[in-house]
Amino acid sequence: MRTAVLLGFRLRQEVLEWSGAWWFLLTLVVQAVVAPLIGLFVWSAVYPDDPSIARYYVAVILVTLMTESFEQHTFSERIYDGTLSHELLRPQPVVIGVIGMNLAIRAWLTLLGAPIVLLTGIALQVGFDWTAVLRSTPYVMLAAILVFLWTFLLALTAFWTDRVHAVVGFGSQLTFLLGGTAAPIALLPDTWRRVAEVLPFYGMNGLPAEIAAGKGSGSMGYQLIWVVVLVVVVTVVWRIGVRRYTAVGS
Amino acid sequence: MKLLRLVGVGFSMALRRSVAFRINLVFDVLLAFTGLGTAVAAVLIVFTRADSLAGWSKAEFLVLIGTYQLITGLRGTFIDPNLSWFPETGIRNGKLDGHLLQPASSLFLASLSLSSPLALIQFVLGLGVLGWGIAGQLPSVAGVLSWLVLVIAGLVVTWALSVLLACLAFWAPKLQLDVFFHSAWQLGSYPTDVFARPIRVILTYVFPMALIASVPSAALLRGPQTGVLVGGVLAAAGAAALAGLAWRRGLRRYTGATS
Repeated sequence: MRTAVLLGFRLRQEVLEWSGAWWFLLTLVVQAVVAPLIGLFVWSAVYPDDPSIARYYVAVILVTLMTESFEQHTFSERIYDGTLSHELLRPQPVVIGVIGMNLAIRAWLTLLGAPIVLLTGIALQVGFDWTAVLRSTPYVMLAAILVFLWTFLLALTAFWTDRVHAVVGFGSQLTFLLGGTAAPIALLPDTWRRVAEVLPFYGMNGLPAEIAAGKGSGSMGYQLIWVVVLVVVVTVVWRIGVRRYTAVGS
Repeated sequence: MKLLRLVGVGFSMALRRSVAFRINLVFDVLLAFTGLGTAVAAVLIVFTRADSLAGWSKAEFLVLIGTYQLITGLRGTFIDPNLSWFPETGIRNGKLDGHLLQPASSLFLASLSLSSPLALIQFVLGLGVLGWGIAGQLPSVAGVLSWLVLVIAGLVVTWALSVLLACLAFWAPKLQLDVFFHSAWQLGSYPTDVFARPIRVILTYVFPMALIASVPSAALLRGPQTGVLVGGVLAAAGAAALAGLAWRRGLRRYTGATS
């Protein structure tokens, strides 16, 4: 209960803080939507008569906005400049601050990106089955948790290397290629598709988008298993990493 | 000549600094490989389902990706280290004050004096993919020459766009458009014919990403077109003149950030 209250306070504080940076947030929205938009145009050119492509990619854009994570900036930089020490001294888990900022940024991105999603949907005359959209809600929530855990895990490598942006960049490339943004998973060559369906990236993006587009029938169990695996790995890496951490300054 | 010597000296110093950090070197090489691998893989997936995309075959797409990667590498080497986050580093932190006091063009010092040699890995890999693309059908000499002219024009436009975005900081110091520019840059890795008409018009005339890879690649593959060549050179000259003008106007407004 106490943790939830603390998280609520932190979320409120971060939402207010980020409200002053709406122009920068807008550029982050553009960054988030470019890759799915390219996928949309490319695959619409390959299958011009298939309306499910547009529906899927509009859903991918929305899922991407709702699940974006930037822990390599918001958390890793605190390791580099030593301000993580302030968080470590507070009588609360460090991750509360990280999650609070993550949720605040996602909320702003979703709010600012909604008009783009709406305009794209209207321009391409995309229609959604609203029961499918409702059914996708838990999948989107699990995707949001998965993306956070994956990015946070990669961001934790800042305890060992100063090239955290390269590490997270590599993780983003995997998500782009095997998560359903470069191509819907069903359109990947057979071997790739089988690999993609096992790895966590599909659950971060493609699966919830497919469910919202009324195409998929994937299981939440697969997402839940990856959430458990990543929680365990993040916990272990955090414990080892924080022991390595030495504060900068006085 | 003096400016070229300055670039050479800066590059040499940056190279020695970069090679000293070997783990970082390994990271950058790996990331360059995986980045290019991702871009190529995304396109190869498309060609498992179609023979051509917007009139471009697989080999032609490889030429496009190679050219895009090559220019991205040059941008990352010579332009980004200077103008990335310019409103923050140049204006708000007062780094520009130092440039203004030095005996060389402030525009040159602010936009081209630093370099990041490790980004040239992308340039080399881009050349590799380009070679892969043209291996089956070698282009004509005229095609290669026009490609070269248009790549240089694309580089000049890239530099000018970066300077223009940086100049906005003179009027709005909190306006940070780097993320936006890097996002829009990704659109240059696909032929403009793939996109819907409004985006195509913007990418050709307003924010000319078409000039980065699409136009040079088309010239290499399909031979030179006088109109396109003249248009490319004029666009480069116009963009460079506009960047110089915006810089001078911006400097008149600049009052210094440090004391």
